[in-house]
Amino acid sequence: MIKFEQVSKTYPGGQTALSKVSFHLEPGEMAFLTGHSGAGKSTLLKLISIMERPTVGNVLINGHNLSNITRKQIAYIRRDIGMIFQSHQLLMGKSVFDNVSLPLVIEGHTRKAIAKRVDAALEMVGLKDKARNLPITLSGGEQQRVGIARAVVNRPPLLLADEPTGNLDPKLSMEIIRLFEDFNQAGVSVFIATHDLGLIARMKYRTLTLKNGKMITDGLDQNEEDALR
Amino acid sequence: MSILFKGRQQAISGKKVGMFQRMIMFFTDHIRQAVNSLGELYRTPFASLMTIGVLGFSLTLPSTLYIMVKNTEQISEQWQQASEISLFLSDNVSEANAKQLVTRLSVWDEIASVSYVSPDDALDEFQLVSGLGDAIKYLNQNPLPAVVLVVPTSKHATPLAAQMLLDKLRQEREVEIGKLDIEWLERLYALLDIAKELAILLALLLFFAVVLIIGNTIRLNILNRRDEILVMKLVGATDAFIQRPFLYTGFWFGLLGGIMAWITVSIILWWIGWSLESFMELYQVQLDITGLDLQALTIMLLLSVSLGLTGSLISVNRHVKEIEPK
Repeated sequence: MIKFEQVSKTYPGGQTALSKVSFHLEPGEMAFLTGHSGAGKSTLLKLISIMERPTVGNVLINGHNLSNITRKQIAYIRRDIGMIFQSHQLLMGKSVFDNVSLPLVIEGHTRKAIAKRVDAALEMVGLKDKARNLPITLSGGEQQRVGIARAVVNRPPLLLADEPTGNLDPKLSMEIIRLFEDFNQAGVSVFIATHDLGLIARMKYRTLTLKNGKMITDGLDQNEEDALR
Repeated sequence: MSILFKGRQQAISGKKVGMFQRMIMFFTDHIRQAVNSLGELYRTPFASLMTIGVLGFSLTLPSTLYIMVKNTEQISEQWQQASEISLFLSDNVSEANAKQLVTRLSVWDEIASVSYVSPDDALDEFQLVSGLGDAIKYLNQNPLPAVVLVVPTSKHATPLAAQMLLDKLRQEREVEIGKLDIEWLERLYALLDIAKELAILLALLLFFAVVLIIGNTIRLNILNRRDEILVMKLVGATDAFIQRPFLYTGFWFGLLGGIMAWITVSIILWWIGWSLESFMELYQVQLDITGLDLQALTIMLLLSVSLGLTGSLISVNRHVKEIEPK
């Protein structure tokens, strides 16, 4: 699903965010990406959603090399990737329904189809009765779930989450992760960046670890516990 | 169709939506966005009114100038047609001689028509139009000479040809004075030409200013909605999709500004009309200020809409691209 081939990213000014990162995520897989702040997690995710381009190396999604994607095509690529952000990235002036329906409106679905799909997505995250509310009136956990509903509303084959549990207490965090598990069971590939090691430890998912821009374990061998220390 | 995932349907390109329905969706989408943009303007009435006002007033000035020039031209055309050559005959020419002259002249190629105005007729007319009324009756004798009015054919009505014709007519024995008042017409035309060029120049400058103003207003709108644009880009909105509401905003600015200009010009013309009418009465010229007809309205609206669109297009092309999620 996602394949990195010797990817390096150096920002203008010489700061190296990633160096020679290679890994391969299978379709339908759910995996965590971890590392300290500044280890390069966000950069790695940005390379997948083409917010940044790699300095060296190739990023492939479903076998398509992203370096062949033109600027104009980026929008269409993002429609295939459901993205969830720590800061939610919701439109605070618009209702929950309008927020969740945004990807569908952009794709040009009919009114009827939009209403149906948004209802289904809100049902999944348990916010069906809050469709008319403004995000600002919701709690942090609820806002995050609105973000998740928006990410899955157009049923993308791939979900990316950047610190989705960042500001949530352990119980809420777990609920969010359970949601991701549900999507994963439905066949969606899920890739979650988090520094919440406690959360990961309770799960048995593949964990990729970044340290100073290098991939120190891609979770395929068993000694990841040691690597984290 | 998705680029990355074969077979994954992205709504609009899916086969489920028929051509006809897609067209209807396209239109309803656009109408919805147009109405939304209008709503945005309504939500910030003061700022919107200021922009519309700038546009409206900027268009008012050249429009008014243009309509004035056009009307002046029309009035002077009336004069041009009346621009006949007046031959004042000598006092000692009898009426019979005068009539002979008329017959003689009427066969000339250069002349379209000739008419004779006897001193009595001239006095009657003078009495009618001068407003002196009965006072004229107290004159001992008619001071007016007999006049032969010569209308040249259109080919010979141009200033140069008419002048030549006049010289020829002066050779006639009965003619004491020949008069062709064409110089002032030439001056008027030259003046009108200058006014016209000035109007065009002014219009161009103001149009340019309008484009800049709209462009800047839209730029501020875009920057104000920066966060929203970022989110939209994150969930896969194309630049075109993001640009559309701003283009509609430009469209509305243009349309409303055009309507405002039209109203202002109407008021100005109505205002000026009063004083102009009494002025024109002195000159015996029928005046209907024309110009604000349907055609002028259409041109004005088209122009202002295209100015609004141009301004927003320039702004949108530059600034929507600049906002990229990082």
